[in-house]
Amino acid sequence: MTHPSRLETVCQRSVAAIASTLLVASLLADQTSTLRIGSPGDPQTLDPHRYTLNVEEHILKDMFLGLTTMDAKGAIVPGSAESWEVSRDGLVWKFHLRDNSWSDGIPVTAEDFVYSFQRLLNPETAAPLAYFLYGIENAREVNGGTLSPSQLGVTAVDARTLEIRLEQPFPYFAERLFYPTGYPVPRHVIEEHGSDWIKPQNWVSNGPYSLKDWKPSQAVVLQPNLYFYDRDNVKIQSVEYVPVSDALAGYHRYLADELDVVGDFPAGEIVTLRKSHPEHLQLSPLLSTMYLVFNVSEPPFEDIRVRRALAMAIDREKLTQKVLRSDEIANESMVPPMVPNYQSLVGPNSPDSTLAKSLLEQAGFTEEEPLEITLRYFTGSENKQVHVAIAAMWQDIGVRTTLHHTELKVHFSDLHSGDFEVAQAGWFGENNPEHYVELLWSQIGSINYGRYSSSEFDELIEQAKDTVDQEGRAELLKRAESVALKDFPVVPLYSVTIRSLVNPRVGGWYTNPRNSHGVRYMTLK
Amino acid sequence: MTRFVLKRMAFMLVTFWLVISVTFFLLRLAPGGPFDGERRMPPEVEANLLEAYNLDDPLHLQYARYLWDLLRFDLGPSIKHHDFSVSELIAAGLPVSLSVGAIALAIALAMGIPIGCIAAFRHNSWLDTCLSASTTFGLALPPIVTGPLFVLLFAVALRWLPAGGLDSASSLVLPSIALAIPLAAAIAKLMRGSCIDTLRQNHVLTARSKGISSFRLAIHHVLPGAMIPVLSFLGPAAATVIAGSLVIEEVFALPGLGRYFVQGALNRDYTLVMGGVVVYASLILLLNFLVDTLYFRFDPRIRAHGKSEAS
Repeated sequence: MTHPSRLETVCQRSVAAIASTLLVASLLADQTSTLRIGSPGDPQTLDPHRYTLNVEEHILKDMFLGLTTMDAKGAIVPGSAESWEVSRDGLVWKFHLRDNSWSDGIPVTAEDFVYSFQRLLNPETAAPLAYFLYGIENAREVNGGTLSPSQLGVTAVDARTLEIRLEQPFPYFAERLFYPTGYPVPRHVIEEHGSDWIKPQNWVSNGPYSLKDWKPSQAVVLQPNLYFYDRDNVKIQSVEYVPVSDALAGYHRYLADELDVVGDFPAGEIVTLRKSHPEHLQLSPLLSTMYLVFNVSEPPFEDIRVRRALAMAIDREKLTQKVLRSDEIANESMVPPMVPNYQSLVGPNSPDSTLAKSLLEQAGFTEEEPLEITLRYFTGSENKQVHVAIAAMWQDIGVRTTLHHTELKVHFSDLHSGDFEVAQAGWFGENNPEHYVELLWSQIGSINYGRYSSSEFDELIEQAKDTVDQEGRAELLKRAESVALKDFPVVPLYSVTIRSLVNPRVGGWYTNPRNSHGVRYMTLK
Repeated sequence: MTRFVLKRMAFMLVTFWLVISVTFFLLRLAPGGPFDGERRMPPEVEANLLEAYNLDDPLHLQYARYLWDLLRFDLGPSIKHHDFSVSELIAAGLPVSLSVGAIALAIALAMGIPIGCIAAFRHNSWLDTCLSASTTFGLALPPIVTGPLFVLLFAVALRWLPAGGLDSASSLVLPSIALAIPLAAAIAKLMRGSCIDTLRQNHVLTARSKGISSFRLAIHHVLPGAMIPVLSFLGPAAATVIAGSLVIEEVFALPGLGRYFVQGALNRDYTLVMGGVVVYASLILLLNFLVDTLYFRFDPRIRAHGKSEAS
C-alpha cells in the first residue's frame, strides 16, 4: 500500500473544500429562491372538488385558475375567463375563456369546465362542499342522484365559451366561482390515473404553479407551471407550504428564520412583536362576524326583554380594545364593516346597564331571583377571555352566568341540534351582505342556530333573492337585517383580525379582508 | 418457556382485541362527527359522504367490517386525508416517531444507568445528593415544558439547531433530548435503588473483600443483577415515549404518527385514529411481551416460579 504524497493530499482537500463550498452555496441559493409559508395544518386533500379547509384553499389557489380569481389585494378579477356577460334576468352567465394550458401543455377548454362542474356535483365524488354551487340549474338534483350529471345547467357553446344557467338570480356568482369547487380539473389525467391523479408524478393543473412534491405533514412543494398564460410575471421559482398546526411552533420557526410567512401566532406575542418586529407584523381585519346567538325557542330566551337586556349590557368596544387588543373591529351589524355598498341600518347603540336591569325586572328577574344562564363557547384562549368578559358584564346587571366550553366540533354539533341557551357563533367568508344576513332566515336550516323566525324578515329575504341588481338587493337586505335585529335573536360583536408575520424580503404581500395572498403576485428579495 | 410464551401471546391477542373494540365504540360515542362544522351540510351531500365511507351502515356491521379488514391488514381510507390511505399515512409517520422514540430511549439509558450507578456507589455523599436532586428535577420536566424552552434557547437565540420540521437529522436532536430527560431521570432513580440493594448482597461483599476494583465490581457483579428492574421498566418506558411523542411532535412540528393521531382525534377521523391505536397498541404489547420474555430468561426467580406453576 502506498501513501499519498503531500501534494496529492493538498489537492484532494482543496477539491473537497471547493465541492463542499459549491454544495453549501447551491443549498443557500436554493433556500433564498424558495418561499416557505407556514400553513395552520396539513392539507387533507389537493383535489379541489373534495376540499373543505381554508388551508387547502390557500394552496389550491396557487395551482388552479377558476373562471374568476383574486388579484394581489383580494379583489375579484377575471381568471380562466377573460370576460363574461350576464343575461337581463340574471339567470344565464356566459364566460369567454382565455388562451391557457394545463401544466402538461394541453389547452384548457370549455369542455374541461363542463366535466369539472359535473364531477363536483356527481354523488360519486362525494364533494363535501358541492352545495357551494347549488345555485346552478339542477345542481341539487344531480348531487342528490335524482338527475344525471349531464342534466346540469352547464354547457360548452364552443371550445372557448361556457354557459352556466342558474335557478335564481345570484349577482355574487362571480365571487362564488373563485372557490376551489369552481376550479377545472384535468379530465384526461383523471381518466388515465383515477384517484391517483392527485399524486405528484401524475399532477396536472392550470394555475400559475403545479405540484412538485407532497410529503404529508412535511411540505407541499410547488413549481411554476411553464404553460401558464401569465408565466412571465410569476417570479418565485419554488414554494413550500409547511404545516405548523401548533401556533407557538410556527412562531418559533418563523423567529428562527425557517419560514418566510406564518399565518397565525399566539395573540399574546403581539405586544412584543410591535416593538421587536414592527416591519414583520401584519394585522388585517377579516371578512367575518363573531356573534352571540340566543336559543329563542327555549325559555327564558323566547322573551325579547331578556334578549334585549343581555344585548344592552355588552360593551363591544371594551371587548375589542381592552380584552382582545389585536385591532378587531366592534360591529353591531351581522355584516362585516368592510363589505362594500352596504351601510347597515342597525345602531349605533351604546351599552345601557340601567335599561338592561329594568328590562330584566319587567321580565320577572330580580336580585332575589336572578336570571341564571349558561353561555357556551368553543375552546381557545382568546374565546375564553372574551366570554369571561361578557359574563362579567352580565354580572353587572345581576345575571349569573355559567361558562361552558367544548371543542369546536362538539360546540357546532350542539348548536345545530339546538342544544344550548346562549352561545358563541361566527361566520366567515364572502364579500356580500347576503352571506351574513341570511343566517337568520327561517328556511336556511340549522345554521339559523337559535331557530329565529320572522315572517316579515323572511319575506324581505325572499324578495332580495329574486332581485337581480345588487343595489336593490342590498336595500332589501338592509331592511331585513334591521327587522331581525330589533328582535335581538343574535348579538353581533366584532370582526376578527388575521395576524401574520411576513419577512420583509417577501414583496407583493398585501393585507386584505379575504386574507388571500396569491404567490404569483409575490417576489423574493 | 414455550408454555409461558404461548400464555403471554394469548393474553396479548385478547388485550389487543379489547383495545381495538373499546376504541371503536368510544370514538362513535364521542359527540360530533367527522363532517360536523359551522355549517351543516345539505342532506344530499351528507348522504354521499356517509355512503362513500360506509358510515351509513349499522354500527355492528361497521365494527364487523373493520375487524375483517384488520385481519387482512387493511386499515381503510382516511376519512379526512382523502388522498392517502391510513396505511400510507402510518408508513410516512411511523419511521419518524420510531426514530425519535428510539433515540430518546437510547439517550435515557445512556444517561440514566451511569448516573444511577455513580449515585449508588457514592451513596450518601455530596455527589449522590446532587445527582438525586437532579433526577428529581428531571422527573418534573415533561417534554411540553422542555420542548419550547429548548427551541427558544437552541433554535431561536443560538441558532444551533432547527426549531421544527424534519429537514435533516439534526431536526431530531432537540425533540429526542426533550423526550429523554424525564425518562433518564426515572431510569437513574430506579438504577440507584437497585444498585444499592445489589451492593449489599453477599456475593458483592465477598468480591469487594477480595480487593476488586470499583469499575470491575460494577461491571461484573453489580450491573447484571441491578439491571433487572431497569429491564422490566422498558415496557412502561416505551409507553411513556409514545405518550410523550404525541406532545413532542406537535411542539416540534415533526411529521410523525403522533401528530396524525392528535389531529385525527380532533377531526373525528375514525379510521385514522383506529390505525394509530392499532400501531400503538401493537408496539406497547410487543415491547411488554419482549421484556417479559427477557425477564423470564434472565431472572432465575421467575423461571423457578414458572416451573413450580407448570409442575
